[in-house]
Amino acid sequence: MNADSPTTPAPTAINVAWAFLARTWQYCIFAGLLAVVLAGCATPPPADDPEALADFKQTNDPLEPTNRVFYAVNNGLDTVILRPAAQAYRFVLPGGVRTGIHNALSNLGTPVQLSNDVFQGQPRRAGDTTMRFLINSTVGVLGVFDVATGWGYPNHDTDFGLTLASWGVPDGPFLFLPVLGPSSPRDAAGFGVDMALDPFTWVGKTPGMQEFNWARFGLNALDSRERYLDPIDQIKKTALDPYATFRSLYRQHRQGEIEALAKDDRATVPVWFPQPSTPAR
Amino acid sequence: MINRRMLLALSVIAPAGMVRPVHAQSDTDRAAAFVRATGDKIVAVMRGAGSPEEKRRILGPIIDASIDVDGVARFCLGRFWRSATPDQQKRYTELFHKVLIGNIASRLGEYQDVRLTIGRSMPRDDNDVVATTLERPNNPTTTVEWVVADAARSPKVIDVIAEGTSLRLTQRSDYAAYLTRNNNDVDALINAMHQQLAEPKG
Repeated sequence: MNADSPTTPAPTAINVAWAFLARTWQYCIFAGLLAVVLAGCATPPPADDPEALADFKQTNDPLEPTNRVFYAVNNGLDTVILRPAAQAYRFVLPGGVRTGIHNALSNLGTPVQLSNDVFQGQPRRAGDTTMRFLINSTVGVLGVFDVATGWGYPNHDTDFGLTLASWGVPDGPFLFLPVLGPSSPRDAAGFGVDMALDPFTWVGKTPGMQEFNWARFGLNALDSRERYLDPIDQIKKTALDPYATFRSLYRQHRQGEIEALAKDDRATVPVWFPQPSTPAR
Repeated sequence: MINRRMLLALSVIAPAGMVRPVHAQSDTDRAAAFVRATGDKIVAVMRGAGSPEEKRRILGPIIDASIDVDGVARFCLGRFWRSATPDQQKRYTELFHKVLIGNIASRLGEYQDVRLTIGRSMPRDDNDVVATTLERPNNPTTTVEWVVADAARSPKVIDVIAEGTSLRLTQRSDYAAYLTRNNNDVDALINAMHQQLAEPKG
C-alpha cells in the first residue's frame, strides 16, 4: 500500500492518541468483564456435607459472585439516581396524579399484555384485557382513569417470562442483571420478547415518537420505583443479606404468579350483568 | 333402585366426601376466627393512641400469644439449628423474639389506617390458611395469607404469606446466606442480630 496516497489523511498525533485511548478503554472493559465472569462461578460446598450441598443446589445461583457484583452496581446507581428521583416524584406529584400516570402507562402496555394472554391460552384474561383497553381508552380518558376495574374487568400482570413458564420452560439459575435487576434466563428472554411485542418499539423512528418513548421509559422507571420505595427500604434495613433476600423474594413472587396463572378461573360475568345464584368457582 | 355398586361407591365417598370436610371446615373456621380476633387486636394497637414505645410494649404479649415465635425461629435457622449448641439456640431464639417485635413495631406508622378483610380459608398440608386483604390509603391492596397451625387446640400463626412470598422462607434464606458467607458460624449470626437491634429503627 502506498503511504503517500493522497486519499489517506496523514494520522495526526491527536487521532493516534484517541484511537489508542479508545482501544485501551475497550480492552479495559473486556478484561473487566472477563475477570467478572471468571471470578463469577460459585464454588459448591464439599461433597461430605450433603445438607450444604442440597442447600446450594436449591438456591440454584451458580453465578452468585458475578450476580453480587451487579447487585452492588445496581444498588449504588439506585441509591444515587433512581431512589432520590422516585422520592422527588412522590414529593412533587399528589397521589391521584401518580395513580393516573400509572393507569395510563398500564393502558399503553395492553398490546404486550394481550399477546401474552393469547399465547398463554387464557381467553378470559384476554377478554378482560381487551375490555379494559376499550373502556379505559375511551371512558377512562386515554387510560388515565381505571374505570374498567369497577365495571368487573380487573387488571392482571403478565409477561413473556410467564408465558414461557406456562409452556413448561423452567426458570434456570438465578441472574442479577445490570439495570434490570433480579431475573433468570427464562425471564430475561421473556423481557426481550416483550420488547419485540411492543408496537412502540417499532414506531419509534420519527422524532416525536422517539421523545414519547423516552418519556414513557422514564415515567415507567419512576412509577415502578416509587411504588416499591417503602418495601425496598424496609428490606435493606432488616435483612442481614439483602441480595439473598431479594433473590428469595423474586423467586417466590414469580412462583406465585405462575401458580395464579395456572389456577386462573375468573368468571366471565361482569359486575353489571345479572350474577349467577351460586358464585362461580 | 339402588344397586350394589352404587352403595359401594357411596360407602367410599361418604367418609371422604362428607365427614372429613365437615371436620376440616370447623378447623378452618376456627383458624379464620382466630386470625380475625388477632388482626383486630393488632389493628386496635396500631390505630390507638400512645407513644410508639407504649405500643411496642402492648404488642409484645399479643405477638407471643398469637405467633409460634419459637417454632418460626427454629424454622428460620434451618439446618443450622441442629449444628448450634443449646446455648446458641437459646440466645438465638431470645434475639429472634426481639428482632421480630422490633420489625413489626417499626412499621406501626405505615399501617395506621389499615383495613383487614378476612377472605376464604382452607386447609393446606397440616395447617389452615386464612386469606385476607390489607387495604391502606394510597397503596395497592395486598393479599396476605396467614398459615395457622393446630387450629383445633391452640391456634398459632406459623407463617405470613404476603403477595405469594412467605415471610419465614425469605427470612430463612437471608440467615442461610449470611451463615454461608460467615463460615456457618451461628455466633456470627447472633452478633449480627445484636447489631440489628442496636441500630435505631426508623
